[in-house]
Amino acid sequence: MNESLLMVGLANVVEPSNLLAILAGTMIGMFIGAMPGLSATMAIALLLPLTYSLKPETGLAMLASLYLAAMYGGSIAAILLRTPGTPAAAATVIDGYPMAQKGQAGRALGLSLTASLIGGIMSSVVLLTVAPLLGRIVLNFGPVEIFAVAVLGITIIGSLSQGSPVLGLLSGAIGLLLAMVGMDLTTGTPRFTFDQLNLFGGIDFTVALIGLFSIPQAVRLIAKGDANAAASVSQVSDRMLPTFSEFRTLFPNGVRSGLIGIFVGLIPGTGGDTASWFAYNEAKRFAKNKAEFGTGCPAGIVAPEAANNAVVGGALIPTIALGIPGSSSTAVLMGGLMVHGILPGPSLMTEHGDVTYTLLWAVLFANVALFFVGLMFTRVCVIVTRVPNRVVGPVIVVLSVIGSYAINNSIFDIGLMITFGMIGLAFDSFRIPTPPLVIGLILGPILDTTLQQSLLIGGGSYGIFLQNPISAVLLIFALLSMLQATPFFGSLSKLIRRPNRNAKAADDNIGGSTGE
Amino acid sequence: MRMTLITALVATTAVVGAVHAQDSGYSQKEVSVMQGFKAGGGSDALAQLVQPFLAEQLGVNFVNQYIPGATGAIAWTRLAKQAPKDGSTISITNTPMLTTNYIMNPSITYTLDEITPIANIVTDPGIAVVAADSPFQTFADFVAAAEAAPSTVTVGNSGVGGDDYFTSLQFEKAAGVQLQKVPFQGDGPSWTAAMGGKIDASFTNVGVTYQQIKEGNLRALAVFSEERLPELPDVPTATELGYDLVAGSSRGYSGPGDFPEKDREAMIAAMQRVMDDPAFQKAAKEQALNIDFVAGDDYTAMLKRQEDEYRVIWAEIKDEVQAK
Repeated sequence: MNESLLMVGLANVVEPSNLLAILAGTMIGMFIGAMPGLSATMAIALLLPLTYSLKPETGLAMLASLYLAAMYGGSIAAILLRTPGTPAAAATVIDGYPMAQKGQAGRALGLSLTASLIGGIMSSVVLLTVAPLLGRIVLNFGPVEIFAVAVLGITIIGSLSQGSPVLGLLSGAIGLLLAMVGMDLTTGTPRFTFDQLNLFGGIDFTVALIGLFSIPQAVRLIAKGDANAAASVSQVSDRMLPTFSEFRTLFPNGVRSGLIGIFVGLIPGTGGDTASWFAYNEAKRFAKNKAEFGTGCPAGIVAPEAANNAVVGGALIPTIALGIPGSSSTAVLMGGLMVHGILPGPSLMTEHGDVTYTLLWAVLFANVALFFVGLMFTRVCVIVTRVPNRVVGPVIVVLSVIGSYAINNSIFDIGLMITFGMIGLAFDSFRIPTPPLVIGLILGPILDTTLQQSLLIGGGSYGIFLQNPISAVLLIFALLSMLQATPFFGSLSKLIRRPNRNAKAADDNIGGSTGE
Repeated sequence: MRMTLITALVATTAVVGAVHAQDSGYSQKEVSVMQGFKAGGGSDALAQLVQPFLAEQLGVNFVNQYIPGATGAIAWTRLAKQAPKDGSTISITNTPMLTTNYIMNPSITYTLDEITPIANIVTDPGIAVVAADSPFQTFADFVAAAEAAPSTVTVGNSGVGGDDYFTSLQFEKAAGVQLQKVPFQGDGPSWTAAMGGKIDASFTNVGVTYQQIKEGNLRALAVFSEERLPELPDVPTATELGYDLVAGSSRGYSGPGDFPEKDREAMIAAMQRVMDDPAFQKAAKEQALNIDFVAGDDYTAMLKRQEDEYRVIWAEIKDEVQAK
């Protein structure tokens, strides 16, 4: 059954309308990602409404390609302007910008494209190979196991939140609290709804996400003005496609970074930014001449770019199989699935297998499309990097209003979006990270529901979580991940895993960025 | 940007069907159809199937409005309290949510008396399924296990207030057993959990599980229809096994209260012609939709009867459920 679905998915993807959607998604994504300050997550959140009128598979194919292309677009801004369009591209700045300054902007972008292709193809191949197995494996994931995965997801977010862990926990806790709004699944009792029918279904996290990420960014762009113009490289005149010998030298690095990306993506709560720093550090560790890094070294561009594209495939696995998004970008992709009436989780592989496989194939095709579209249009794309912030800001606000309305055709949701925008602004000024709030908002209902279901299945006994081998192992991981954040464990791991400390240190240097 | 705006607007209202110069006696040329669920769901499937045929028969344009939220209650509150009563607005009404919404939640204030049922179109019968490797070979095995150990046999349903939840309650009453009811977010997660052996059985619907039953991934123990289903001839009905239980989820059309009687009659007549159309029957069969046409006052009576049943059941178990 699964093998035939694989073919159904391929047949779906090569339909002209879907190929067109992939191409359009790639173009739009690249241009949006190239605008400084517009992240891949925002690109999806803002353009979600574009896909409403499309068939689910077409819409999802478009969203997936949009996401991948926006990641590449982010590195255009990183390399030319020294402003990473996405946090995942922050590592690219270190070597990309110096290379561009040397007049090799084209080479830097070409390397980034090639690396993205390697990472992207690898992760799609893994995704397509693993997916048929997933169909069987997810059946082993009932409420008890999913509860444990969600707990693990929560703890990892806690230990990875940028800046102050306390503020990260605060943000996550607020997210979990907000997730309690709405009807209780097992009793039908409305909670914190204040007799407001619009809140019965809970807070739509896609709406919250649009507000949290877009509004503060728009305000920031408008307030900041255009400061970067002087430092930017505005010309791409040299050859983009790497030579064969260059390709050969960077290939092992690309594959290694791709693998890192896939594995990091698999872990719920970690996304492109973690993967690209991780890969960058590994590339540096493997390099003969470490001093080259930071001065425009090709390996320093290839590593993060291969990793952050490979993350997509890895992160999609827990997203589609368990309904637990691996990163805030996959969370938005998950929102896309739900908008099209498809609930991610075990039934995605059984009930909506055709759509799922179409999405997986679309990821592969989008990677290839991105390579060619990138080669052809990157030079044109340079123009959008010069769009003034004062234009981009208001446009974001308009798109946010349309987007949040269109999800449920609800005026109430516009208000909700703006409220979350205000929360985002407040968080920004207190330096509280917003991604933990989003993850709390997404994982909250999952935790709540699966906890109650598990207790019903286990006859009211919490012992069910330990009797079940999968959940017991996952919960132990969760405990370790929590201990890891405590000072005791921190000093212990510093002794054992020295290289990783560098990764953490590098992460802290960029700590000011606003999450994915 | 302009493109995005237009696309978003198009997405909010999809025009279905075309105006035909045929006099069917209907007072309006354009009819809004409010759906309490998202585009692409079960209600939408009904709309996409029926409305192109109905538009031709009735000589009107249908415009779908998707107003998801509170299991349909936002759309139905709007239908009952705000919709113009001139035939220009109708809504797809789903059972049992149409009535269980306000039976279970005092803050949902519309009632059946404030809407005018027009006709039921489809019913997806309930069904009890277990994993292919389940020890329950027959419905009798399942009942025996439930009798032997009350409140231990876990049975999934599509959510509190949904049809399968009330089916479980009705079954408990009819068989005098106590099940451990586990609500899920919809039918898919419920039967998937049963297929993976995470729960002992799932009370769900035929339409969503037929494919898996046919492929042997799920075993059907009993259907909750009046008679055996032609597509599952070996599966007994609960009624023939001695349990007074006919249940499922139905979808039809209703207007606001004081809907013009003339328009109601015209629409029912047009629906009847659609039901008799072989092209429609073929289209319905392809989508595995089980046609169950109940028109006019019969539909009102059907909803009333259900409302009474649910009210009684909920009154009995309300305290027990919400005390948890």
